[in-house]
Amino acid sequence: MIVDKIKKRGPSPRKQVNNVDIQVGKWVSCTNCKEILYKEDLKNNSNICPNCGAYFRMHINRRIESIIDEGTYKRFNLNIDNINPLKLEDYPQKIDKLRQKTSLEEAVACGTGKIEGENVVICVMDSGFLMGSMGTVVGEKITYAVEKAIKLKYPLIIFTVSGGARMQEGIMSLMQMAKTTEAISRLNKAGLLYISVLTDPTYGGVTASFASLADIILAEPKAMIGFAGKRVIEQTIGESLPEGFQTAEFLLEHGFIDKIVERKELKHTLYKLIKLNK
Amino acid sequence: MLEQKKGDNGEAIAKSMLKMAELKVPVIAIVIGEGSSGGALAISLGNKIFMLENAVYSILSPEGYASILWKDASKAKEAAEKMKITAKDLYDLKIIDKIIKEPEGDFDKLANNIKKEIINSIKELKKLSPKEIVEQRYNKYRQMGEYKKLDFKEKK
Repeated sequence: MIVDKIKKRGPSPRKQVNNVDIQVGKWVSCTNCKEILYKEDLKNNSNICPNCGAYFRMHINRRIESIIDEGTYKRFNLNIDNINPLKLEDYPQKIDKLRQKTSLEEAVACGTGKIEGENVVICVMDSGFLMGSMGTVVGEKITYAVEKAIKLKYPLIIFTVSGGARMQEGIMSLMQMAKTTEAISRLNKAGLLYISVLTDPTYGGVTASFASLADIILAEPKAMIGFAGKRVIEQTIGESLPEGFQTAEFLLEHGFIDKIVERKELKHTLYKLIKLNK
Repeated sequence: MLEQKKGDNGEAIAKSMLKMAELKVPVIAIVIGEGSSGGALAISLGNKIFMLENAVYSILSPEGYASILWKDASKAKEAAEKMKITAKDLYDLKIIDKIIKEPEGDFDKLANNIKKEIINSIKELKKLSPKEIVEQRYNKYRQMGEYKKLDFKEKK
């Protein structure tokens, strides 16, 4: 009997690991090289695997710490929530839970800060919050940040990571693409610098709106960037796609991205670009 | 299709919207069938948006929606009911300005209804200066997406 077999096997391997007193929750396995990493080491290495150099996704606060001069970040006090436009039963609870889990208000944080002394308006998205999807709150926050940049005459920096428009808010999410694009058109007219930094993964309605509309588009190495996912396109057109399709490197080669920048070089690169465009 | 292969159709949508946002002439968009996702939005950034009575306009096809949200494309019917995609839904959500009636079996009458709305809109929008036209479009999209106050403190 199967049940007997399971019993004979004794405690599960996971339990045995616990017995040797390894602290649970402090370790993570690299998705690329499978090496087991101490989370603290990872954090101290800009969320890059010390073993193989693979990039891990970053929490908003870690990203801000790594880009903005210490103590200079001031978040915009725009405390807003969606109104659940489609009246989905489980959506508000889902958002509530995510807020507790991530300590974030939504999938984007916006504010002002300094990069090596230079004033900027910065927006950072987070994949941990419903895959960084853009609903009404994200759309409003980005738009607000763009308008603030115009008012303050500061350069605008947006770090993107997103699965696209947020399905749970239906057509209202789609309209955020138009809303943020309208805002960018005003920013262009004001002649202000806008740099987007595309991080893994940036897809859907975010790629198809503000992420692609920057004056300078940077990306992290190996970031996956696109509109529809690779599998969806292959199924739709009935053809296989080229190697490396939708990687930052492929997009750089085809002229969509201006430069791929290593995570540890990002801050100084942004500073140089701001200085250069002053 | 070629654009898809290079992977920059997302950029094409964004650039198309940006261009439309800059236009100094009135833009009137009319959804006449099934409009969905970025492709529809890319060519419909208008000062006025109308929809035919039986047209639909959505973030994604109900099949795609069900498969993303519930991992089950066969729930398309349920998705279609939840998604708010009809002309009336979109009018209530203040996304479209007007529903154009579709008299059954009478295409000439429908064409006339469309024509009438286009002429009326042009007459109305003609009164605006080029700058005001751009501003009217901006404000139209600026107010899309209602939200409420949130009591939540972000932690470091």
